[in-house]
Amino acid sequence: MPSVTRADGEIELTLDQEEVHILTGLLDEMEMLLTADIPRTDAVRSRLFPQAYQDPDEQEAYEELTSASLMTAKLNAVRDLRRRLEITPGEPAAITLGDEDSGPFLALLTDLRLAIGTRLGIDAEMMSAEPDPSDPNTPALVILDWLGWIQGSILEEMGY
Amino acid sequence: MSEISTSPIRTEDVDTNDVTAPDRPWIVVVWDDPINLMTYVTYVFQKLFGYALPKARHLMLQVHNEGKAVVSSGAREKAELDCQRLHAHGLWATMSQSD
Repeated sequence: MPSVTRADGEIELTLDQEEVHILTGLLDEMEMLLTADIPRTDAVRSRLFPQAYQDPDEQEAYEELTSASLMTAKLNAVRDLRRRLEITPGEPAAITLGDEDSGPFLALLTDLRLAIGTRLGIDAEMMSAEPDPSDPNTPALVILDWLGWIQGSILEEMGY
Repeated sequence: MSEISTSPIRTEDVDTNDVTAPDRPWIVVVWDDPINLMTYVTYVFQKLFGYALPKARHLMLQVHNEGKAVVSSGAREKAELDCQRLHAHGLWATMSQSD
């Protein structure tokens, strides 16, 4: 089970060995998703890089202006967390989040959840349904909930 | 976002007298999605726009209950920057010139 605690203004997330393994796998998948040549019409891709404009020309100009830095921020968050998880390979991990790094970490958890949820084609009803062991999507839904628990617990410690 | 009780919503009047397009402000709209946590959306509104917690919560509930909310407005450059910051935080934001 993950645990989230707060001490001296910093938040500490503790993950057991199995959780570190799962999270590392999700980071690898996210890095592949971000760096692969995926068409912008792909549902996950377009959810991670949403359209600001309806007009195609204006949207193209917007993308030219913003998509490189958006991509860099997402990749940096993935690589930063992977480095932290690799400090103690094969062991539980303790991740300390100060004011500076809680933002990128929460945004990364969001990206992971958006990627999983969008790939599943999730809607509000699916999000609130009880897990069904016979549903092939259940393992992914459990991971979605697990990431949501971590994110929600961190936000709660931050006063939300 | 997950279900939660709500309070009445009052929307702001938009000035419709302006006819010259360059003067009409751009508005940034955040749309509801079933994945993001309600507390996360509130956190992002506070962090990016410096809104007090009640206002950030109010906007989050408006997104949740009505499907969308105008979260900022101003010059085109400002709206683009706000959109970009919202996208960097995983929120589904679009911008358009107000009517």
